[in-house]
Amino acid sequence: MINSVRNTVLSILNKNNYGYISPSDFNLFAKQAQLDIFDDYFYQYNQLINQENARISGTGYADVAKGYEEVIDLFSMTNTLTQSALNQYFLPSISTTGDDYYLINKVLCSSGGVLLGEAEKVSNSKINLLNSSHLTSPNANFPAYTLQGGLITIFPSSFNGATDIEAQYIRYPKAPNWTYINVVNGDPAFNQSAADFQDFELSPDDETSLVFKILQYAGMSIRELQAAQFGAEQEQMEEQNEN
Amino acid sequence: MAYLSQYQYYDNAGASPNNANWGSYQYVSLKDVVTNFELMYYGNHSLINNEPRYKILFHTKRGIQELNYDAFKEIKALELKVYDSLTFTLPDDYVNWVRVSLYKDGYLRPLTENIQVNSAEAYLQSSTGTLSFNADGTVVTAPSTLDTQRVSGEQKSIYLNKNNAYNNQVGISADNPDGRKDYNIGARYGLNTETANFNPTFRIDKKAGVINFDSTMANEQCVLEYISDGMEGGDDANISVNKLFEEYLYAYVTYAMLNGKFGVQEYIINRARKNKSSLLRNAKIRISNIHPGRLLMNLRGENKWIK
Repeated sequence: MINSVRNTVLSILNKNNYGYISPSDFNLFAKQAQLDIFDDYFYQYNQLINQENARISGTGYADVAKGYEEVIDLFSMTNTLTQSALNQYFLPSISTTGDDYYLINKVLCSSGGVLLGEAEKVSNSKINLLNSSHLTSPNANFPAYTLQGGLITIFPSSFNGATDIEAQYIRYPKAPNWTYINVVNGDPAFNQSAADFQDFELSPDDETSLVFKILQYAGMSIRELQAAQFGAEQEQMEEQNEN
Repeated sequence: MAYLSQYQYYDNAGASPNNANWGSYQYVSLKDVVTNFELMYYGNHSLINNEPRYKILFHTKRGIQELNYDAFKEIKALELKVYDSLTFTLPDDYVNWVRVSLYKDGYLRPLTENIQVNSAEAYLQSSTGTLSFNADGTVVTAPSTLDTQRVSGEQKSIYLNKNNAYNNQVGISADNPDGRKDYNIGARYGLNTETANFNPTFRIDKKAGVINFDSTMANEQCVLEYISDGMEGGDDANISVNKLFEEYLYAYVTYAMLNGKFGVQEYIINRARKNKSSLLRNAKIRISNIHPGRLLMNLRGENKWIK
């Protein structure tokens, strides 16, 4: 998909002789555009849930929220968290689980390989109150966790084994990388088999959104207001159609 | 949670104790209640969302506690021997008592709660009545006469038991030089029925966590029937609720959470309140086990001849 997006962007820019964007610039814009759209999934999903609650959304093929769920689930990961000290564990990161997390969806607590309960996130302002409550203090059946820095702290502290804590989370999409072979006296040729090649991870129906987003960044970059405005207008029209 | 096989139920799958699962089918565990609530009554399309799980857990436990106080009829019983100190320490999960009995000669005799105080704190006093104080400013205490005489058997009782002032024989007899009846027979006119009981008496000191008996209870077996709050010593894994109350519990948690949330319309709260109230009534009727056979046994008494 990345080559198709790049060709479309270049085609629109070159059509009016606005200019040319280099592969490295394109990769930067592509990464930013992908993050924008990825972030927007969650807001769109929330909006659709509100529509469902207001009974202005359908089921079956009209169940658009389901589509968003599926797209978001493409980025779902489940990994054992690396222990830092006792009941503290590192949050998912490139160095521990191999990917950065966008949000933690579920934290599962086990002991001796037996799943005991799903931990609930508690704010740092509430955790002391929760721990001092007879009725609701975290225990093996109803554990809790807090986040601080890059660490997650599990309560009760009896969960302190190296493989006791597993997290299901949504990771960030990998940064797209349009790779190429240098061609003398000509345009760089697309090389899909390069080791560092990375396509967009968004679903194919987001291709137009990617194009418009990248056009906006490219238009700003080459100081062509019209290109940026064109991208913004097109994106706005697309959003209106979706709603 | 999966259903138990018959082998697991009857024999705990060979593990010890083998009776661990007997009767368990009557109950649904706390974890199941919370999980089912989260699945069925909580979420994006439900009345309740965006609330932490600990609130659901809190209201579920509170609901179970309330049910234990009056609806469940799950009465625990503890038998202990009362020694010379004449005290019976309340069980660790005690909330309120139902009945205190003396088990003697093969009979369970329900005891009467003494209407008079039978234990007190006392301050050490000088001959002029002044008090003494410890270095930390607290008053020096001493065993009360009320307690020491109760334990020694010197305290008299207004009840018709062995500690009664008239040897349990209240009434005038013309042919007795002491003017007292010798036998516990015949009509007793003007008897105070409130204190007309032969058995030992007791009084519960809630703050001290003990039952204080009179001296006639020394070295006797006492059976305390009491209710708890169902919290099983804080072990959530053992907390359960009778299935007859399961639906009520979901309704109660729904009501409690809506009632405590800002901005919920009053008609929604009222609907939830009525729902939980009617479900509680239904569950109470179900658990009361009013069977025609039992009614029949009681109604047979209406044809009994009374002299």
